[in-house]
Amino acid sequence: MTKLPLEGLRVGDFSWFGAGPIAGQMLCTFGAEVVRIESETKLDSLRVAQPVRLNPDGSPHTGYNSSGYFNNFNAGKLSMQLNLNTEKGQEIAYRLLEKCDVFLTNFTPRVIEKWNLRYEQIAKVNPRIIAAYAPMQGMDGPHRDFLGFGAVLTPVTGISYMSGFPNRPPIGVGTNYPDYVINPGHTVTAILAALRYRNRTGKGQCIELPQIESVVNALGTAVLDQVANGHSQNRGGNRSAVAAPHGAFRCSDDETSEGSPDRWIAVACRSDAEWAALCDALGAPETAVDPRFATFAARKANEDALEDTVTGLVRERRAEDVMALLQARHIPAGVVQNAQDILDKDEHMRAREYYWYLDHPETGRSAYDGPPMRLSATPGELRAPAPLLGEHTMDVCERIIGLDADEIADLLAESVLI
Amino acid sequence: MPERSLEGLRVVEFTDEAGSYCGRLLADLGADVIKVEPPGGGRQRHSPPYYAATGEGVDSSLAFWIQNTSKQSVVLDLDAQAGREAARKLALNADVVIEDNPVVYLADRGLVFDKATTEKPSLVYCSITGFGQTGPHADYAYSDIIGQAMGGLMTLAGEPADPPNMIYGHQADLSASIQAAQGVLLAVLHADATGEGQLVDVSAQEAVQLSQETAMQTWDLQHRNRVRTGEKGSLPVKLPALGNYACKDGYVMCFVVAPAGADFSVLVDWMRERDMIEDLDDEPYKSLCNNLNLGSISQLLTNPAALMPALPALAHIDSVLAAFFASMTATEAYEEGQRRHLLNGIVSTPSDLANNAQLRARDWYRQVPFDYLGGTVEFPGAPYRLSESPVAIGRPPRLGEHTEAVLASLQ
Repeated sequence: MTKLPLEGLRVGDFSWFGAGPIAGQMLCTFGAEVVRIESETKLDSLRVAQPVRLNPDGSPHTGYNSSGYFNNFNAGKLSMQLNLNTEKGQEIAYRLLEKCDVFLTNFTPRVIEKWNLRYEQIAKVNPRIIAAYAPMQGMDGPHRDFLGFGAVLTPVTGISYMSGFPNRPPIGVGTNYPDYVINPGHTVTAILAALRYRNRTGKGQCIELPQIESVVNALGTAVLDQVANGHSQNRGGNRSAVAAPHGAFRCSDDETSEGSPDRWIAVACRSDAEWAALCDALGAPETAVDPRFATFAARKANEDALEDTVTGLVRERRAEDVMALLQARHIPAGVVQNAQDILDKDEHMRAREYYWYLDHPETGRSAYDGPPMRLSATPGELRAPAPLLGEHTMDVCERIIGLDADEIADLLAESVLI
Repeated sequence: MPERSLEGLRVVEFTDEAGSYCGRLLADLGADVIKVEPPGGGRQRHSPPYYAATGEGVDSSLAFWIQNTSKQSVVLDLDAQAGREAARKLALNADVVIEDNPVVYLADRGLVFDKATTEKPSLVYCSITGFGQTGPHADYAYSDIIGQAMGGLMTLAGEPADPPNMIYGHQADLSASIQAAQGVLLAVLHADATGEGQLVDVSAQEAVQLSQETAMQTWDLQHRNRVRTGEKGSLPVKLPALGNYACKDGYVMCFVVAPAGADFSVLVDWMRERDMIEDLDDEPYKSLCNNLNLGSISQLLTNPAALMPALPALAHIDSVLAAFFASMTATEAYEEGQRRHLLNGIVSTPSDLANNAQLRARDWYRQVPFDYLGGTVEFPGAPYRLSESPVAIGRPPRLGEHTEAVLASLQ
């Protein structure tokens, strides 16, 4: 069995909610031993967030271990309960960090200071450690202590303002979008780069990833257009400056799509040829040469009429059929899929086995996101489902930190391991 | 200058919209990234907006600039024998190849770089496509909005009465590039340790899956589809201090009734200070305001007998609140609200971001030298700061700027 790229490395995952734990899970998937520090005294709210497993009578399964939201970001980790609000708890944290290669957190600077987990403090004990801090605003600056999480970050970073139709207020994108790929992905990228640097130089270092900086960096051209040209863009809905038609068009309803019967096909025509092929594939070759639509400039000038025309061509068809027809002509087209489509119907997703199904003691067999990149020699694995709260407290204390039974008994008695 | 994180790592990329950002992340971290471009440039070089001072042209696209910093550009015609030969040499000279062409595009041009190529066993070969290298849709045509649709993001965004919304900024492309950057670095660490290269296969559809938030688990555990709920959100009634409020010049998004941050009463105190409290100190509003949080509201929502009479009162509180926020700028609502520990966020416009006090105080924006323009251009900064091996943003290359020098070095 080939060794995974991060095998032999240990991560102290002092993070919570989405962005931090997802980064920790990625390191875990590719071989690191990840110890997730948690405490009932400062519970990660995702542990009690929806969706949870339902009991046979339809009522929600209660407790700390049945949330799919939490479980999906923590597969394969060890869960250790440690109360960092106690001096003893901080002492134990340091005994763990002595044996870690990576420290990971997304707590605010205020909490990091309270827990004595600043980089200067950790580096004194373990100079080789790579310490990654991912607070919302940064470790300093006038907004340092502003409160927030993904839901606040989406408007603050400009994603809300720039997304959606211009005739609507900027309501956001339906999720705490930056939490799931941009921030954890950038965090892992920086950690891996720092690991390569450490392999070459022996030096650890401090990584600071203010979530606002990480996300504004990823806001496409809008910010560059503003600072370089002084031009403030507005949101443009589903349209594109280089493709038309470009959007989602309503197809026939499908009542088997649970709670979401309206079906839509997304289409992007990037050239006159793709537009002509679309018209031909949908049985309306004359539409391609309609002077209102024959050239890109004409299609942009008559975009409302263009979109009505495309809707007319697909409205009575199944979205899946339109996709097959257009893709047969190499036109970018895809069904606006919901989770039911993706998990149960999308033959491609199923063939590639992106989702992993793991047996969890409280949720039963349930789905987890697999690695979003396929490495042929070292593919990575979800070694275990998400841990129960504190499932590995004893294991970490004994095997990794090296505490003896008396010490552990004292810590339990003093409410440090809760 | 301290050593860079990816010092000495040689990367050759055959990328356009989906893969450029992957190369940029590596280049800003210190890798030597050579971008191979077709004659005339790819889609990004022809995408508006353009740098206003130089006007439309292949060297002025901001869409290209933002994703191609710190790279070199080599123009090669892969439809000609000489171009293919040079591309092959470049690739075999590199540690990493990144490409985002349709499956078999490069293979059709005699450029099979994947692990099957035995000429360089340590080569890391990263492919970024819409749907991956294998599976029934591997040859499906792809563009960013298709990844957002097929990946499950669009179904969650927008008003129920509208078409599903795409997220601004080529987010499926970007997600694919971010997942690819991690995959490449994992493979580089493996190659450094063992000498073994490998294929890194990234599908944009898979790259965005995590961004469905809880939609996947909601189907898996409860057999319900999450759908787009628009401005109203998932609650059946509009609640005060939850959602957007129009200010003088924009919007502030409030989450004051959420469990984090100061209580609603702190917001009421602020309104009182500004003398905009109206009648909220009178009943029935006063009792409601004193205990307005998700817990109390959840209870209310399960008790129709109590909810019905409360609805007009909640609507009135909301209208007083709306008048309060309308009296100030969005920045004031955000900063002053946050100073009072009220959970809210400005709905930043690009101009708000350019003036954001936190980003400016931290010197996040970079003045990137453009030698050939005789000055600098301000760029958004990097996503992270590394204390020992810092990130640096160099200007994007002009089309084919390094063709001659790079080809000469291959001789």
